[in-house]
Amino acid sequence: MYWEKHVEIMEVGALREMQLKSVNEIIAKAGEAPFYRDKRLKHLKSLQEIAEMPFTKKQDLRDCFPYGFLRKDLTEAVRLHSSSGTTGNPTVVFHTKTDIENWTNQVARCMYMIGVRQEDVFQNTMGYGLFTGGLGFHYGAEKLGALTIPIGPGNSRRQIWFMQNFGTTVVHILPSYALRLYSIFEEMNLDPKKDTKLKRFIIGSEPHSEELRQQIESLFGIKAFNSYGLSEVCGPGVGFECSAQNGIHLWEDYYYVEIINPETGEPLPDGEEGELVLTTLQRDAMPLIRYRTGDLTRVIPGKCQCERVHKRIERIKGRADDMLIINGVNLFPIQIEETIMGIPGVGKNYLIEVKTENFMDKLYIKVEVDKEIFEGTLSALTYLQKRITEELKAEITVTPVVQLAEPDTLPVWEGKAKRVQDLRNP
Amino acid sequence: MAYHLSIFTENRPGKLKRITKILADNKINIRAISLASAGEYGIVKLLVNKGEQAFGALKQENITVSKRRILIILLPDSPGAMYDLLVVLSERNINLEDCYGFVVESKKQAALVIEAEKYPQAEGALLEKGYHLLTDQELDTI
Repeated sequence: MYWEKHVEIMEVGALREMQLKSVNEIIAKAGEAPFYRDKRLKHLKSLQEIAEMPFTKKQDLRDCFPYGFLRKDLTEAVRLHSSSGTTGNPTVVFHTKTDIENWTNQVARCMYMIGVRQEDVFQNTMGYGLFTGGLGFHYGAEKLGALTIPIGPGNSRRQIWFMQNFGTTVVHILPSYALRLYSIFEEMNLDPKKDTKLKRFIIGSEPHSEELRQQIESLFGIKAFNSYGLSEVCGPGVGFECSAQNGIHLWEDYYYVEIINPETGEPLPDGEEGELVLTTLQRDAMPLIRYRTGDLTRVIPGKCQCERVHKRIERIKGRADDMLIINGVNLFPIQIEETIMGIPGVGKNYLIEVKTENFMDKLYIKVEVDKEIFEGTLSALTYLQKRITEELKAEITVTPVVQLAEPDTLPVWEGKAKRVQDLRNP
Repeated sequence: MAYHLSIFTENRPGKLKRITKILADNKINIRAISLASAGEYGIVKLLVNKGEQAFGALKQENITVSKRRILIILLPDSPGAMYDLLVVLSERNINLEDCYGFVVESKKQAALVIEAEKYPQAEGALLEKGYHLLTDQELDTI
């Protein structure tokens, strides 16, 4: 049941003691990197004192491109991962052998937690390469001993062919791609429930709603678990849902977890929503102190039924920079997804567009209808359109223009879904 | 019992063409068609000679289609024929949800397709008054 029982269900007091020791060690190590050298990091007497340390931001990583955060000689690094860098310098992250081992162990722990074992067949549909999603899980699955199929993204018919021929039981997949893949099963007149041995999906890399998770679970007849990670601190494996599916455990032997008010920077108590801030406790090549993830969530108070003591966070509501401001009203795309996916008659895909009309912002939501429950009357469709509009208005307080689309006609993505298109005049 | 095919489609150039191409490729004859629009999308209703085959072919091509039960009533192609029919239905308080017609043989025979809210009553009343209701099979021969 536990990959590392002594760490996963250790006594909370002992965990905090271990964290204080680790934080002081990592502060000392971070001081060797050019960025932290003149930050006057100090020895902490208690974990609370970490609030006196400065934050590290994504922009700092960009500004110190490429080696400003590296504390070791470059010859000790064995790998780098990088963001695409479409806006300015990319975020480049280096790993030593120790880092890769630690990262691999975190992923293996996550997979073991949801029941993946040596006898499983693991199909990794995430992108390999500079993106961390593919390689991170690949190493973790191999360490666990599962047969690993490094198929990467795309080519849905081939994905299904491998699933059928090698009895795939576990799939790592983008939630948006899972829905797309299901429609290919349909096209091939196959039912994943009967025609495959699929048991578990690992879904991550995109913020997604509970409604979308449940839809994926019922379409494929599997359990889907939410994976959390970010490349700045390693990649996937930072946190994961346990079988209780009620919050993502963050591995506190590897990270010190804080939630802060994104405007004031003040630490918030457990239960309150804010921005997740992580201090890496075991990173070797590039320690990060109080790194602002940009991810909005809250710590779920109380103990998990799985007995693990590591803090749970709620599914990510969005990145602070995903927030849309429509005529002065703040909203997150995930709120739109949560609302529409709960309405019967709504299909598998949707698209959000924001345009400028008469100097005002206008929100358009294109929604595919569900062809399985289409009953063939215009009145049912206009009712559906009206219901989506009303429920969205109640949730986001903005009245959208809802447009119904035919199934499988909205754009699909091989990589992360880009469901929000902001077409406003700059 | 008869039915027509009800299809959800976006109101854009080429959408209806795609549907008729599937039917043409499958050698299916359209006996009647009706369209209802709600602005950016609408419903196409198709009465075809081989309903089951057409339904399968459209589904195969990922068209959002469903079968809707209908009554197809043969009428004389002459003034007052539709009025006489509606007298029968309205006397029994039967409401029509959708309705369209086509000529079978000029000046002799026409057909009226209705979606009604009370099928057994509507069907019973029309048969009692001596109306001929077309079956799926007859759609291929008339």
